[in-house]
Amino acid sequence: MGALGTPGTRDTGYRGHQAVSHIHRVPDGTRLLHTTPACLKTRAARVRVGKGDKPVTYEEAHGPHYIGHRKGWLSLHTGNLCDEAGAAERALEDAFLRRFLRGTFPGALADAPVLRRRGNVLVLSAALTRALPPPKLYFLLGYTETLLGHFYKCPVRLELQTLPVRVPYKYL
Amino acid sequence: NLMGVRLAGSHVDTQEPKTNPLVSISDEPETLYKRLSLLVKSHDKAVLESYEYFAVLAANELGISVEKVYNPPKTIERLTLLKSVHIYKKHRVQYEMRTHYLCLELKHLTSSTAAVYLEYVQRNLPEGVAMEVKKTKIEKIPEHIREPVWDTLPQVEETEVKS
Repeated sequence: MGALGTPGTRDTGYRGHQAVSHIHRVPDGTRLLHTTPACLKTRAARVRVGKGDKPVTYEEAHGPHYIGHRKGWLSLHTGNLCDEAGAAERALEDAFLRRFLRGTFPGALADAPVLRRRGNVLVLSAALTRALPPPKLYFLLGYTETLLGHFYKCPVRLELQTLPVRVPYKYL
Repeated sequence: NLMGVRLAGSHVDTQEPKTNPLVSISDEPETLYKRLSLLVKSHDKAVLESYEYFAVLAANELGISVEKVYNPPKTIERLTLLKSVHIYKKHRVQYEMRTHYLCLELKHLTSSTAAVYLEYVQRNLPEGVAMEVKKTKIEKIPEHIREPVWDTLPQVEETEVKS
């Protein structure tokens, strides 16, 4: 004690055996909170909340951490399993196929297409709105299957289902 | 006359034995498998359970004895990547890939039974499911080790060695 009184000494805070009396009991239930800055919130694969006028499907409404719990897989292949090869090739093919389908049926896709690979066969399942008349739809179906079959050198099957209206799960 | 009409299209009078072109009979002795081990991998546990029911049912229908069906523990492959494109090294994002396993062990199969079962079960593998097959073959003991060596050597009279 007497740290301030004597000249030439600095108060280093060391009280020696007197230190114990200065510890205050921490009240139970307090925790330090670490917040991230607002610009680094995760934005992957989720639709941000807006004014409430944006209709969103069940698939889009749930974020990627719900895959396996509330959501299923959109692309089914064995590339990502343990000790299996071909993950990068499948991912590239999936990206191209989704872009291709989005371009071939502009504005008509109701939900994300599901891509499945069984052996050599590639099965694309898509739900469409009834924006196009059936003859055009059948032409586009044949066109997609032939073109993708020749491009990827494997049998491609496109299974389409038409819905009257794009059904929203909720509005964000 | 009516009898003739009834028998006109039937094969009553043909004496040829019916041979299925898909079944081939050969005289070679079949390789015997002591154990056939199937390891099925998937990301989805529900798919594996459904496939287990299907594979066990198929084995029972074909008369194959199922030794053991169990689930080895799952493997989780985790990646920790940077969350941002440019800087912010302290903020990362973690991804994981879970692989669930199902092990099916069948015992005492012949090669043709194994071929039929495997073909059926593999044609009906769901998408996103992989399978590894391990076969344990039974072979006869080779000629040169069938009898112990000490029986084949000529008898040698034992002489006492004094050390």
